Formats: sequence, C-alpha cells, structure tokens
Amino acid sequence: MSITHPPTDILILGSGASGAAVAWRLSNSGFNVVCLEQGRWIKPAEYPNEHEDWEIQARTNWAFDPNVRGLAEDYPINVDDSPIDPLMFNAVGGSTIHWTAHTPRFHPSDFRVKTLDGVADDWPLTYDELEPFYDAYDELMGCSGINGDPANPPRKERPMPPLPIGPDGERMARAFDRLGWHWWPSDSYINSVPYKGRLACNNCGNTGLGCSRGAKGQTDVAIWPEAIKNGVELRTDSRVFRVETDQNGKATGASYYDADGNENFQPAKAVVLAMNGVGTPRIMLNSASESYPDGLCNSSGLLGKNLMFHPYAMVSGLFDDDIKTSQGALANMILCQEFYETNFSKDFVRGYTYQVARSSGPISTACGYMFGRVPWGADHHAEFRRRFDNVTVLGVIGEDLPEEHNRVELDPKLTDSNGIPAPKVFYQLSSNSRRQLDDAIANAETALREAGAVHVLGTALLKAAGWHLMGTARMGDDPASSVVDRWGQAHDADNIFVVDGSVFVTCAAVNPTPTIGALALRTADYIDRERSDLKS
Amino acid sequence: MPESEWTMTEADRLVLSAVMDLIVPSSDALPGAGEMGLAEKAEELAGQIDLYGEALRRILDALSLEPSARAEGGFAALEEDQRIAALKALESNMVKHFDKFVDLVYIVYYSDERVHEKVGWRTGPLQPRGWELPPFDPTILETVSKREPFWRRV
Repeated sequence: MSITHPPTDILILGSGASGAAVAWRLSNSGFNVVCLEQGRWIKPAEYPNEHEDWEIQARTNWAFDPNVRGLAEDYPINVDDSPIDPLMFNAVGGSTIHWTAHTPRFHPSDFRVKTLDGVADDWPLTYDELEPFYDAYDELMGCSGINGDPANPPRKERPMPPLPIGPDGERMARAFDRLGWHWWPSDSYINSVPYKGRLACNNCGNTGLGCSRGAKGQTDVAIWPEAIKNGVELRTDSRVFRVETDQNGKATGASYYDADGNENFQPAKAVVLAMNGVGTPRIMLNSASESYPDGLCNSSGLLGKNLMFHPYAMVSGLFDDDIKTSQGALANMILCQEFYETNFSKDFVRGYTYQVARSSGPISTACGYMFGRVPWGADHHAEFRRRFDNVTVLGVIGEDLPEEHNRVELDPKLTDSNGIPAPKVFYQLSSNSRRQLDDAIANAETALREAGAVHVLGTALLKAAGWHLMGTARMGDDPASSVVDRWGQAHDADNIFVVDGSVFVTCAAVNPTPTIGALALRTADYIDRERSDLKS
Repeated sequence: MPESEWTMTEADRLVLSAVMDLIVPSSDALPGAGEMGLAEKAEELAGQIDLYGEALRRILDALSLEPSARAEGGFAALEEDQRIAALKALESNMVKHFDKFVDLVYIVYYSDERVHEKVGWRTGPLQPRGWELPPFDPTILETVSKREPFWRRV
C-alpha cells in the first residue's frame, strides 16, 4: 500500500552537486522544498581516510564504480557496450563525496562550438550569462585559486588562495615554463584556509574518498546544513522510481521506495531532477506513461541520447629523485590549457586540458592505477621500489562531442534491489576523440621528459574513468532538438526541471561540476523570479 | 564468493600460499607473501568481494587441473620453475581472472604493516595527520603571468 505525504512546492530528486544548490537557493526564497535521496548520511568517522585499510576500501566498499561497490543504495549499470565505466556515489552529497574537487570553468568558446568550429551545437546561453552563477557556486562550495590566468577570462577573486602546489607541482610548472606552455594553479573546492566553519585541507593525499575534516566542498557539509536550517526536508533512503504526471503531462510528484521497501508518493507543484547524467534519464525513461509513451518529456526522442563522458587518457612520468609524489591533494596541483582551443592545423577539433595529479599509496602503486601494474615474480620488488612515490600524472581531459548513438537506455533484465530497471550505457569513442587523445599523449610525454621523468607511460583510454556524465537531456531553444529549454525547464511540461549534467549541450574539456552548480543556481533563480505560481 | 557453496580446503590454502610466494617472493627484509601468512587475509577479502572471490576460485580450480600438478601430486609438490611456468600459462589463458587474482595478492601484501615499514610508507589512516606542505608562493607565476591572454573571444 502506498504512503502519500503532504504536498510540497518543489520536489528535488538527488542531493548532490545540483540538487543541493537548488534546495538551498529556493528555500532561501521561501519555497517549501523536499529532497529525496536514495543514499544516506555518511558520518565523518566512516570515511576511509580515517581507517588503516583505506586503500582496500578504495577498491571495495568505497570504489568509484557502483558495480564494484554494490551497496544497497547503489544501482547496477550494464556496461557491456561501453569502453568507459560510469562512476558515481549515492549518499547525501552524491558524487561530491567522492570527487577530487578540481573545479575549472568552461571557457566562453565552449558555449559556441557550432559557430566557431562547425561541430555539435551552440548552447542557448553564454559564458557571460552564467558567470554570476559560477561566482555564487564558488562562494557556496568554497573555491581556492588565484586570478591572472592568461588562458581564461578575468573573474571575481576566489574566496581562498590556491592550495599548495608542492615540490612535485613546482617541478611540472617549471617544465611548462621552459617549454613556453601555459599552466596555472588548479581551482579547487578544497579549503586552503579555514572557510565558513570548515577546516583547511591538511594535504593527506586521497581527496577521492570523502573528507572527514570537512575541508572538501561536498554538498553534505558545504550546502545542506544551511538548506536544512532554511526548512528543507531531506529524506534519505528514498529511492525514486517514477515521476508521476497528470493527463496534461504535468508532474504531480514522484513515487519512491523507502528503506523498508514501502511505496511512497510525494506530491509537489514541481519536480526537479538532479540524479546525474545516467540516473536522471534512467528515471525519466522509467516514467513512461500515457502522456509520455517514450519516457518523460521525450517528444524530441533525445532523452538518454548524446551521452558524453570525458574520455580520459593518462600519461605518467616516473622520476628518480627524492620528491614524494603522494603528499598533497590528489588531483589539484596545476593544470595546463596550452592545447585547449581548436588548432586548425591539427587533425581534430576542440582540445584538451592536462590535469596534473599525484600518485597514491602502495596498493595503488602495485596494482598500477598510475603506472601500469608492477610485474609479479622475481623482479617485483625492484620495480615496485622504482615506482613507489615517484610518479606524476598528466590526466588528459578531452572534449567529447555529442553523438546520438552514445546513450543511456533501460536494461531489459538488470534491476536494482527494488526491482527498478537498471540503466544500460552504449558508448563508442569517436575518431575525433581518439586523435585528440593521441595528440595529448605525445605532448604530455614532452612535458614530463622536460620535467625530468626517466620513463613515461601512456594509457590510451582509461576504463574506470566515467566520472563526468553529461548530455542525456540536453538544453536548447528548439523542442525538436532538445529536452529542456535554456532554463532547464522541460519543453513538454512547465513544472519539470532538469539541473544536473544531463542538460549539457557540449562538455568542454574541463571537469563539469562548477558548470553543473552554476546552471542549477540559474534554474533556481529563474523559478524564484518567474514561477511564483509554484510557491505556496 | 560467487558460488556460495565453494569453500577453500586445507589443500587449497596450501596451494594459495605457495602461489602467493611466487607472485610476491621474499625480499631482503621479508619472506614471500605466502610465507608471511597472508593467505588467510586473501581468503577473507575474496569472501567479501565477488570479483576477487571468483578470481581466486577460478585460479585455484585451474591449478588443480593443471597437468604437471596432477602428475606430481599437486601444485605445491612442483619444482619452482614448474610452478612459475604453470602460473605464466594461466596469465596468458585466463587474463581477466589472473589479473584480479594478482590484485588480490597485492592488496593483502601492501596493506600489511610489515610491508609498509619495508617500503617506507607511513602506516595507518591518512587522517588526522596529513602532510605539511609549504603554502602557495605566487612568485612561481612570474613567467606564465607575463603571457598575453589567449582565451578565445566569442
């Protein structure tokens, strides 16, 4: 028997980077807000970095990959037809629990790729329109960084100075200088100094496993406390399986299973989907009805299509000096955007960023995430000694372009523990992306050799690298070629909004979260300004 | 482990320990991974995580069927060069499971405090200790800051 809750103004599905921002912004303006989260609150003491076996946990119950983790709050993903595995986390805070918090912004050109380079589509908004929301999200999450970057437009001062780049970061920076290449200290949602009652980072190393100090910008510590103070009800262990609609196709609320497996219904004046670029199309496709036979708000036929990852290559340099490469935030030293924009003399369009990253602990070294697996047998110990704490990585984030055949569908057989159909991901690496990555690997070797690396190893395509899930409910002005409009509002129903990476038209060559957060705040701002009909 | 009925026998444990000594052999300071008594820990982890459990089961099954091992009365009775040859054959023929099996051995070996001491790793949780790093020094921006802005105007 279904339990029906009292109605609310705004129902948000998902409590991560975007859902939290919308909850905070709208509750500031007096909307009644309920948020449903399928995961639970994680206590600081639970984070692996507080435990001796943190490296084991990183490969088991705290793995990035939900298929490896397999927790009750996770859902499986069929990846048989994808060379890249989607990664995510399900808890209050969503994948901001797990992320390394590297937070560059899109460039102005990223919103105009059709006009500039004749590929994909332009966004229905500009960098300038989004800039105040970038600033607001930086403030909310806490951004460390510094102005003056010649590769990016001038911007408002960050709330905190950059994180330490360390001797390993300095080594790479000087190499880029000698080559005449761009580099800049990373923008990071990690506190370089105490910020809004949260501690500064103490450089422990593995930022990808949740931060028990509260130094990393996770929405559970950076946003939710204030949103809850504002009166938002955040309901955990609540697994949504369908957005319900009336005969006119408007949302009436969402149905979900609680921790005991009971079916619940939460009525609302509007529903905001914020479950990431795989989770959101999954639930929208599962919300097919008489009004929406092909999935919720899918008159364009594009729901679930145009899935973009950032296909990652990794180029690792082995050094033979005394600099320890595991001390400091894992992926937040410096970046290089020398090859960011389209270079028409190359055989590919768009470009890439190098995210300079550190190595990790002994298990990571032996199993070879950064530099290939250490061989077993007689040579094992000598080879381990050579690599351990001696590797700097240039992670290549290339701009993936949208292609309809890259998509999310519902798997016909696989389900989660509540019997809700699981997503199946179809993805093929494009020839443009391949050429882009090959170029990046060659240039990365030049940089690492310049820095003094004695050996360089390139990984052509990382499988466990689907951190960024984008494009599956794209925004646009034309209802025939997009799922939501420029405000994130569904073309097919004016009380259904999408605010996560699903709305991306293109994905640029940078980590997406500041852009996701800025877009979410912009949608919330629109609701506040234009949709007083949604407020009680 | 994926096949819930499957449990390791004493003979399996003997083989596992011998194999672990070949994967991570003794070094100057420490005996091999098997001789260090880590087979039990590997079995425990394999029991918790399906993909390691399946890898362990399949590798031990394959070794029990390996012709030279059968002829000699078991893997543990083989000469070292025969054991290595048997493992290399599995590495070629069962790539996925062998990879996971090696991961399993490395995970238990490199989570051991004795090994941390040997390789110079500060054992224990990452927090609350962290590491001291000098704060960011903006003078390092001297060269790159002189560059003219080159972001693409639209």
